[in-house]
Formats: sequence, C-alpha cells, structure tokens
Amino acid sequence: MERQPEKLANPYLTGVLLGLVLLSSFTLLGAGLGASGGMARLSAWMEGLIAPGHTLASPYFGRWGQEPLSYYLVFMLAGIFLGACVSALASNRFKLGAEKGASFPTNLRLLYSLIGGVLIGFASRLAAGCTSGQALTGGALLLSGSLVFLLSLFATGYALARLFRRQWND
Amino acid sequence: MTDTLFSADLLNTPIGFTASLIIGILFGVVLERAGFGSSRRIAGVFYFTDMAVVKVMFSALITAMLGLIYLNATGLLALDAVYQMPTVWGAQLVGGVIFGAGFVMSGWCPGTSAVGMASGKTDALVFFGGVMLGSIFFNEAFDAIKPLYGWGKQGITFAYDTVGISKNVFAILFSLMAVAVFWISEYLERRKSGTSKNQGARFQKVFGAVVVIVALGIFILPDTTAVSPKPRPPQVSADQQSETRLMAQVDQAADHIEPEELADRMMSGEPDLLVVDVRSPREYASFHLKGAVNVPLEELAAYLAAYKNSGLIVLYSNGMTHPAQARDSLARLGFNNVYFLTDGMTGFSQRCLKPVSLRRAPVSRETAEKVKGWREYFLRQG
Repeated sequence: MERQPEKLANPYLTGVLLGLVLLSSFTLLGAGLGASGGMARLSAWMEGLIAPGHTLASPYFGRWGQEPLSYYLVFMLAGIFLGACVSALASNRFKLGAEKGASFPTNLRLLYSLIGGVLIGFASRLAAGCTSGQALTGGALLLSGSLVFLLSLFATGYALARLFRRQWND
Repeated sequence: MTDTLFSADLLNTPIGFTASLIIGILFGVVLERAGFGSSRRIAGVFYFTDMAVVKVMFSALITAMLGLIYLNATGLLALDAVYQMPTVWGAQLVGGVIFGAGFVMSGWCPGTSAVGMASGKTDALVFFGGVMLGSIFFNEAFDAIKPLYGWGKQGITFAYDTVGISKNVFAILFSLMAVAVFWISEYLERRKSGTSKNQGARFQKVFGAVVVIVALGIFILPDTTAVSPKPRPPQVSADQQSETRLMAQVDQAADHIEPEELADRMMSGEPDLLVVDVRSPREYASFHLKGAVNVPLEELAAYLAAYKNSGLIVLYSNGMTHPAQARDSLARLGFNNVYFLTDGMTGFSQRCLKPVSLRRAPVSRETAEKVKGWREYFLRQG
C-alpha cells in the first residue's frame, strides 16, 4: 500500500519558524529572503546565451554584467529548490502532475499558470521584489513601499478571485 | 555591533553564496512543511477555504519584525547593516496590482513555485517559464517602463514615519492586527468547512496571548533611537593610500556632477540615482529638486549605508562647501559612488531653471528647449 502524505504542520508555528529563518538571514547575510531576484538573474543569463551583445547593452539586464549568476539570490533560489526537494520526498508529498480541480481541463490550468507567471515576472521587476523579497522581508522591516505592495497584492487577488474560481472546482 | 555579510561587502563572494544557499535550504524546507508546494492550497486563501497563506505569512512577519526590534535594542544587530529597499510608491502599488492578478490566476508566487517544482508540479514549472518570460519582457520594454519604475521614489521610508507614530506603537498595532487576522481566518475556515482545520480554540488563545506579550515587551527595551549609529573609522593602514586617491579625484574633478547632466538624468527617471538634499528641513520644504530626499549631514553615513557602492549618489546644498566635505568624508568611509552638484542649488537655478528670457547672454534654440523641459519638470508642483 502506498504511504500517505504526512499531515501538514501547524501554520502558526510554521510561520514562526519562517520568521526565524528570515531573522537569521537578516543577521547573517544582512539581507532578507528573496526568490524573484534569482529568477530574474536566470532570465538575464538565458537571454545572454541567446543574444550576448544585445543583453549586455540592454538597459536593465545590462547592469548585471557578464555574469548575472554571480549573485547571492541565485544561490538562495537553488537552496529553496534543494530544501523543498528533500522535504517533499521525506514527507511523501512529491507527486507528478498539474494541480487543479477534477472537472477543469489541464491545458487551461497550465495556460493560467503561464500567464500568471508572465504577470508576476514583470511585476516582481517593477516592484523590485516578490512576496518573499518585498512583502515578507520589507514588511518585517516596516518599509512603507513593501507594505503598500502587500496590500495592493491581496486587494487585487481578492477582487479578481471569482474569475479564476472554476479551476479549483472538482 | 557585528558586521553582516552585506555590510562587510561579502554578500556576492563564495562565502556569501554558501551562506545564501544554506538560508535558502531552510527557507525551502519551511515552505514545503507549510504545504506551499501545492497551488491549490495556496489559492485557497482567496476562497476562504484554506487560510494557511495568511496565517504563515503574518506569523512570520510578526516574528521577524519583533525579532529585529529586540536584536537592535540589545545591540546584536545594527539596522544599517541590513539592506533596506527604497520605497517607490507608484511602482510598488502598480507592481502589487499586477502581481496580485498573476497570483490569483496561477496560485503560485516565485518562492512557492520553486517548492512546487521540487514537489513535481507541472503547473509550477510552466509558471516558472512564465516568470522568465515576464522578466525578459521587462528588460526589453525597460525604456518605456522607466517613468513608472521611478514613479514616486522616496528613498528608504518607514511605515511608522509615513503614518506619523512611533515605531514601538506601530509594531504593537501591527501585532494586534495580526492576532485579529488569525481569529478572522479561523472563523472563515470554520464557516466554510464546518471545522477548524489545524487547531482548537485553545491553541488560538495561547498563541494570540504570546504574540501580544512579546509585542508589549518592546516597551521595556532600552531606547536606541537616540543613539545614532557611529560611522566606521577608516582603516589606518590604508589611510595614506586612500587620501592620495581622494586628492587625485578632487584634482581630476571626478567628484562632482554638472547641473545640466543631473537635470537630464533625474528627468529620465534613472533607477539607480539617489539625489540627497543636505540642507535644513525648512529649506527643503520650501523648495527642493523633485525626487531628492532630505538627509541631515550627521545622519548621512548611516542613511547612505544601504546605497554604498551601488548606483549613483549626488549630494547638494545651496553652495558646494558642505556637500564637498561630506563627499570626502564618505569617500574615506569607502564610498566610491558619491558626487556633489557643481555650484549647488544656486548654480542649478541659474543654469537650468532661470527662464531664457531673463538671461543676459543669448542661448541656442537647443538650450532653450532644454530649459523649458527642465522648468516644466522641476518647477511643476506635485
């Protein structure tokens, strides 16, 4: 018989743990957590493989120079992936496939993920960070702009929630 | 106070990379334990079926916020050793709106999608591809986006200053709000599914009480706000060498920027440009260059720590003496990206803002056009 996935941890205590990870990041690195920064660096690197001259001369990625991957957030992103791999396997939560409601077509769910990804890739550069780098890190530092980002993010999410409800219906 | 890798300028070296990898691993484990390798669970927050995102996020926010206050008050961590992001009102507001739309649509955000990929989720992989495309699109369209990217740029701004209350009071209110959000989340989940998902009312009470007690504890901490952080003394061994370098810069005029160049660069909304007005708050309030921040000379080193050697910092006053002295002092502290405005505000007004019609010498049509643009940009209110 297949092993059941482990029960999820208490969200409050998990949150406290996450706060302690953030705090150790502040103390050790002198910078908070971040994920989109690493992804943007990967994008710059990929664009550099395809069109090196163009990328180096471009106004945004160009500032990151010849080696955009020599950046601490790239390593943090690799760490997130590694840590999550170990944890997912250990807790038996690794499962191949797209997540969606049973009655919803897979292709449409993947299309939603793709468009959502494009919007978030763009928005993270505009706001100079994502839920980790702005909302969580900047929020804990009580930075004005980060809290504005947090509020407008959730307000928009709730305002549009009905439009994307169907993808989770069974 | 101990150095961080950031303040020691070691973040992007092998030691910084190793430390970031380790912090990342811990981050990944915690996110996975929270169940954030599942877009369905994450999206539940928008339909009140599973409020885990809000519970985890606010617990983490409060823990880190209070932790920082305690560490700072006990002298274990100086806040200027931590990188803090400047506020850009417009960019962050609009960024949040677009981000929120993408979030509710996909059920992922960058960090959790890495966890999703590690958990075998194909929708996370597709999302990741989307983020890469979106980032590349941002780069390609950057020239057009620049005004939005710099819209409402403020420098480092704290919410308690924006609201106008003390940091401690803000932190307590924030903690109380989090406790209220936890209660509402539990209520909404119970109403949707009939039962509370994770814990009973008893846990809720104890956790809420702990948060409030820890938050109130910050009032008995020693007050650190009165002690301004001391600038690090320059290294003695490097003294002679750095003074020579400083003199060379002064000699080559590599330490100042002309008003016309500054005006153009400010108008183009250059993202890495920080313009600092070192005059008194009263003078700043009566007129300042649009987009400049007001920092008193004695707080300059602490304020600019986060901008050290990244981007371009331009100091100005009415004349040149104070900014030039400040620049030299900052250069001794290791800053290599500080400039001051040639002829100060006086020169800027004369050379960029004085109407062409009032000038003694005739100006070319090209210059007249430029002056018109500068006047419109710098003299328009709001």
